[in-house]
Amino acid sequence: MTQILPIATARQTRGWLWAELRGRRAEVTGTLLVGLLAAAASIVPVYALGMLVDRVRDGAGTGAIVSISVVIVTAALIGGGAIGLSSYLVGRLGARMLADLRESTVATALRLPALVLDRAGRGDLLSRVGADIAAIGKAVSDVLPNVISALLLGVLSLVAMAGIDWRLGLAGAVAVPFYVVALRWYLPRSAPRYAAERKAVAERSQLLVESMQGLRTVHAYRLEQRHLADIDAASAKARDIDVGVFTLFTRFVGRVNRAEFFGLAAILTVGFWLVRDGSVTVGQASAAALLFHRLFNPVSTLLFTFDEIQAAGASLSRLVGVETMPVEQRGAGRPPADAALTLDDVSFSYDGRTPVLREVSLRLEPGERVALVGSTGAGKTTVASIAAGVLRPDEGVARVGGVPVAELPGETVAIISQETHVFAGPLIEDLRLARPSASVEEVSAALDTVGALHWALALPEGLDTLVGDGSHELTAAQAQQLALARLVLLDPAVAVLDEATAEAGSAGARALEEAAAAATRGRTVLIVAHRLTQAASSDRVIVLEHGEIVESGPHAELVAAGGRYAQLWSAWESRKPTSASTRSD
Amino acid sequence: MSRSGARILLRTTTRNARRLWFGTGLIAVHQACETFVPVLIGVVIDRAVTPGDLGQLLLWVGVLAVQFTVLTMAYRFGARQLMAAIAEEGHQLRLEVSAKILHPRGVRTDLRAGDLLTVSTSDADNTSYLLDYVPRIVGAVVATVISAVVLLLISVPLGLVVLVATPLVLVLLQISSPLITRRVADQQEQAGRATSLATDLVTGLRPLRGIGAQDAAAGNYRAVSRRSLAATLRASRTQGGYLAASTVLSTLLACGIAILAGWFALTGRITVGQFITVIGLAQFLIEPFGTLAVVPSWIAEARASADRVALVTDAGLVLPEGADRPAGHPCDLHLSGVRHGPLDGLDLHVRPGEFVGVVARRPGDAEALVKLLSVPADYQGSVLLGGSPLEQVERAHARRLLLVEPHHTDLFTGTIAANVAVHADGSDRHDGPGAIPADVLSAAAADEVLDTQPERLDALVAERGASLSGGQRQRIALARALLARPPVLVLHDPTTAVDAVTEHAIAQGIRALRHGPASGFATVVITSSPALLAATDRIVVLGDGVVTAEGEHEELGASDETYRQLVLR
Repeated sequence: MTQILPIATARQTRGWLWAELRGRRAEVTGTLLVGLLAAAASIVPVYALGMLVDRVRDGAGTGAIVSISVVIVTAALIGGGAIGLSSYLVGRLGARMLADLRESTVATALRLPALVLDRAGRGDLLSRVGADIAAIGKAVSDVLPNVISALLLGVLSLVAMAGIDWRLGLAGAVAVPFYVVALRWYLPRSAPRYAAERKAVAERSQLLVESMQGLRTVHAYRLEQRHLADIDAASAKARDIDVGVFTLFTRFVGRVNRAEFFGLAAILTVGFWLVRDGSVTVGQASAAALLFHRLFNPVSTLLFTFDEIQAAGASLSRLVGVETMPVEQRGAGRPPADAALTLDDVSFSYDGRTPVLREVSLRLEPGERVALVGSTGAGKTTVASIAAGVLRPDEGVARVGGVPVAELPGETVAIISQETHVFAGPLIEDLRLARPSASVEEVSAALDTVGALHWALALPEGLDTLVGDGSHELTAAQAQQLALARLVLLDPAVAVLDEATAEAGSAGARALEEAAAAATRGRTVLIVAHRLTQAASSDRVIVLEHGEIVESGPHAELVAAGGRYAQLWSAWESRKPTSASTRSD
Repeated sequence: MSRSGARILLRTTTRNARRLWFGTGLIAVHQACETFVPVLIGVVIDRAVTPGDLGQLLLWVGVLAVQFTVLTMAYRFGARQLMAAIAEEGHQLRLEVSAKILHPRGVRTDLRAGDLLTVSTSDADNTSYLLDYVPRIVGAVVATVISAVVLLLISVPLGLVVLVATPLVLVLLQISSPLITRRVADQQEQAGRATSLATDLVTGLRPLRGIGAQDAAAGNYRAVSRRSLAATLRASRTQGGYLAASTVLSTLLACGIAILAGWFALTGRITVGQFITVIGLAQFLIEPFGTLAVVPSWIAEARASADRVALVTDAGLVLPEGADRPAGHPCDLHLSGVRHGPLDGLDLHVRPGEFVGVVARRPGDAEALVKLLSVPADYQGSVLLGGSPLEQVERAHARRLLLVEPHHTDLFTGTIAANVAVHADGSDRHDGPGAIPADVLSAAAADEVLDTQPERLDALVAERGASLSGGQRQRIALARALLARPPVLVLHDPTTAVDAVTEHAIAQGIRALRHGPASGFATVVITSSPALLAATDRIVVLGDGVVTAEGEHEELGASDETYRQLVLR
């Protein structure tokens, strides 16, 4: 049932990368030039030392060392500065590109249509904006500069060897196919194992999280041994995969060592022949061998981080995949004529087969308060989502003041659902999401309206207290009060409440109902309610069954009519023993 | 505390001694071979290339081949031994930590679930990495010693210069490392902030969309992302500066040595091959010296992790062992004069067969009561189950007799069937999901949940129940509690996310299932739901930690103002 979000093809990803690099042509060119300078400067000393070897063999005087020393020291100074600058420039280029990418990915993610997201599930998107961005960030700052400098050094060293004598360059290049073969042997074998490792570690973490967060339940049902056995099995599996991956890695290292040997042996042998036939000097042959030996470390680093680069590439294509998705556009919009909410012949189906709503029409007059009731699965939430523009109807149209909801200015309709979320950060910033320009007084007034100001001020640092995940935890009722306060700040003409008071527990629900009433005063309100007290206090009640409206009218009329609503009401009533004390409101 | 961390590290080395020292020996051989590569290059130049001797070339390239074979084999088998030891040690530590956290008697620790997770994952791993650091140190020492011997054999003054100057330069470079560590930590913190903001916003996407705040949210993210970028660039600048300084210094060092050696060669004190060996070794030595310079900080990190592991494994237990088997009726729960947190002299007697409702004016009182019954510790007064103090009853037995289902429902990954038929000793009773009696499912109104799932009982519960709505989770948890058929069942706000009609059905279902004629079971429901309370035999009202009223639902509704306020309106 769940589909996954799109992943960019290798071509799309390359296309994105290419376009980004072209857009920063000057920066890219500068970065490359400095990198080349750094690599060249680090080759010069070895080359110069080769010349020194020849001077020694020629029996030159000690004075020969002076000019060479000057060259070497100058190169060391320039090379060091250039390598540092190059590392910074590469890191900066990567970090800037990543910052742009993550911002546009998150912006896209936040504007994905509700239905797309519901079908794909949030897990995938969460891992893209979370783990994938973090993985690329780490690769860009830790791996990329080394990789670029190793690549440049490798290429320039080969060029330098070839510069001494093309046959020496060729001998050094003998190692290249061995390296390539080693990589091509290793990568396809390691990738699935790394994937299996990540999966095993994720499973292990999940078991640990479940057991630790559900500790009370584990104890209550005496599940300690079973959970421990599960953790043991998952952890042992991850351990075995770890060892397996590493065993593979050691074989890869063996192949890299082989490449090093063949390269070095080739250079020494070719150097031997070239010295014998007088094409190069002993110093030049030595310089070539030393240059090659110096490449061992940077090249292995390059090879050993290749899977990280590959993983970062996979993350990149997942991010670029998000970029390719269509988003909901909401322009400045047309202002509505009034605050009347209408649904005309609205039909809807989530899967394209089972209809959830069938030609539902309703009209809420400006300022009217209407409750939507019905049993689970009747389509109440779907009506609410369509009225609020979260879902687009398959047929028919939802309008406010004659304007289709999709074309309204953003602040015309707001919906609060059962699903609450306290946004991590200072409390006041959570509320300012609704109106970024709101002053402290305005925020306080909104909190006061929903009866939350007293506890908000009583928090350790008042409105500046950090709330949400990882900081001060608020109760479900408090979270819902914040949602209502955001509504007050947004000040929409039409408000839709979808069981917005449900999760608070029976004692808290009434306080929340009062808060909801205060927050929606003067607005056109559509309430999806399972507590029928909310229906009783509304101007009108609409009963929905199997995607169709079966009854509509004021509470008292419907109760008197003895239909479906009267049935629901009597079930609700039966929970109250003494009718005298319950009819007070 | 720090001693216990050291103890854990010591145990890590001793209980993996065989693999550790075998692996370390092989890694030392590997490092020795690495050291000989530049030496052999010098020898080939001296003996084969310079005189043009083909026989010598073949001989020494052959030696180089043997040397590379030994090098790679030593690494392959040594590193595998070590990796096996590391993986096993991490696994063992993880199990020890988990076993302690899950101990039936409860672990006494201030760490929160998130911290405990860190201890059982990254701290367990970091501690086991000690087994990686030991061979690295040994290998670096071996490489250094061999280089020193070779250098001193070639020329004593040259050797001394290399061996003194290299560590000096490395120490010099260490001076700036705190700055780098700080900048990198800042960078990681800012990056982490951006990541958690992104996941937080996507998690709250529905409420965000509800008020059309996506643009404001994207703006907030952009601001944090830019701060993260600035921190990354700051760290990158520092690292670039460090890299420049360290490259200049180490290159100058290597060049200085090379120039000195070149002078020695010019004056005929060493051969050309030796000159090349010195250049190669001076270049190579930077690596083992670098390892020796950073290893102390790695070990400190492993030590800190081991301290945190010890914090858990050495922590005390909350409850006593417990050996009693209650002599009285197992369905008799008697609290008298209980003081525990906000509870201030609570008396509550639940008799066999009774269905008792508890209404608390302060939510904290209800929480405290639930906590006390699940973890009977740190209280005054008496809590008797079947006549025995609850904490003295043998733990597993006590939990079989008295089941407390907390308000916050915890479901576990698996099928709905596995979540309902969960009992640790129930594997023999329930061979398959079909064995869950229909009356239990309908009493909890969980059958309606199954109707919404195409796979019914085999439907998967993902991510701790996130795939189900709050009301569905509550009904599954209730079915689980009812199926356990404990003599005493305590439920805390079991139906807050369930609609009125279903709540009514559940109240009747619990009554029918547990309080039929001749049933001796006792049930306590802590709630302010009128539907549930109307189904009870007797209701106890708690105000400020003590019982303020007691009676039947109708009776209290008519007589008690607090009750009316809390339950009816």
